Amino acid sequence: MWGRTDRMWSLTEFFLKHKHWFVFLLLEVVSLLGLFSYDGYQKSVYFTTANGIVGNIYSAVSSVTSYLTLTSTNRELEADNERMRQEIIHLKAKLKVANADSIVNHGLPRHYSVVSAQVVNATLHRSNNLITINRGTKDGIRPEMGVVCSRGVVGVVCLCSTNYSIVLPLVNTTSRISCRLRHSEYFGTLQWKRGQSDITYATGIPRHAKVRMGEVVETNGYSDIFPPGIPIGFVKRVEDSADGMSYLLKVGIFANFENLREVSVITDYTQPERKMLEEQADSLTLN
Amino acid sequence: MNQLNLIRAGRLVLLLALQISIFNQIHIGGYVTPLLIGYMLVCFQNDVSRTGLLVWGFLTGFLFDMFSNTAGMASASCTLLAMMQPKLLKLFSTFDPNEIFAPNIQSMGLWRYLTYVFFCMLVLHTAFYALDAFTLQNWPLTLIAIGGSTAMATLLCLFSEMFVRRRK
Repeated sequence: MWGRTDRMWSLTEFFLKHKHWFVFLLLEVVSLLGLFSYDGYQKSVYFTTANGIVGNIYSAVSSVTSYLTLTSTNRELEADNERMRQEIIHLKAKLKVANADSIVNHGLPRHYSVVSAQVVNATLHRSNNLITINRGTKDGIRPEMGVVCSRGVVGVVCLCSTNYSIVLPLVNTTSRISCRLRHSEYFGTLQWKRGQSDITYATGIPRHAKVRMGEVVETNGYSDIFPPGIPIGFVKRVEDSADGMSYLLKVGIFANFENLREVSVITDYTQPERKMLEEQADSLTLN
Repeated sequence: MNQLNLIRAGRLVLLLALQISIFNQIHIGGYVTPLLIGYMLVCFQNDVSRTGLLVWGFLTGFLFDMFSNTAGMASASCTLLAMMQPKLLKLFSTFDPNEIFAPNIQSMGLWRYLTYVFFCMLVLHTAFYALDAFTLQNWPLTLIAIGGSTAMATLLCLFSEMFVRRRK
């Protein structure tokens, strides 16, 4: 009986003597649990709420700091206006020719609309960079929607709260976006490596493809996220992939992440006919 | 003791404000971002209980995580630093372990203090950037981030220490 009490006492003494080790392990486990649930793309409700609160703070800060970049934003808008004016002139000329030839256009128009949003927070120098925008589910934003800016593709919405959404940008090591070369139409996948926020890499471009330096890389429309033809960047360098089976293209990103303010979320880009057909094909395979 | 904790809380708020508003915006070469919040744990004197120090470390990291979207990275790193700080302090000081003293340039001398701060910052930044990268794929870049940020944070701690001493 005495021996048992002694052992109990020794055990208690051991725990008390080394309690800092247990506290250390407990706190590390709590920290790592937080980290891993976050790394799995913020599944926890906690961070959705926290993002809402922090988003409000960033909104306030952003409303002040946005004044500092007004000059460059204005310059960009001017350039955009100019480009759009040129496009209108070009399209008007095309329309005139089409009407004159009495050609009936049987092609269906693309159905997609956009919701404009403002970037309230962005990280650019981590492996898993994220962008917070001030539009959420109440504005019709849902995960898996594409985000673009005036220069081109920005990323894909991955998480939404009522008023804010988190965007997985091109400059995130886990981001994968299908792309194609504008002229040769060979397609590949964009994958970012940590480092520069204006460079990404296109993988899977076949070796027989004739790639031109400076050629525009754009979305290929294979997914329901982006319509085809939205510019992403331009070819900066052509390298061989690690396995030597394909090309690895170094792509300069058009979107300026360092100075990103205004973005648009593509809210209802769908191709119902295609989707229906693919679902039918899936059900045939299952049967 | 309560007054001391209030001073520590005030220091924590000040360091967090500086870190979030200034140092989080610094990305030299795209990699180097110093974590000055480590200075919070460097300053603890040798009579603080290890459990208390761990709680302070976790709290410092947790608050940083909350405002920097780093979810657990700083909490884990700061808790590790809080665990190692007493050992590092013992290693680089010439004092008797029973003697109570606060680590600073006056009590330790410039070079001993600098080495002590450097190793503290090395522990913090190694843990932080290793968790951030979480892969060995781009290890040269991770090493650059650790080395650059450690050096910069050490210098910042030294300047902060000199500034505090001059004010006193």
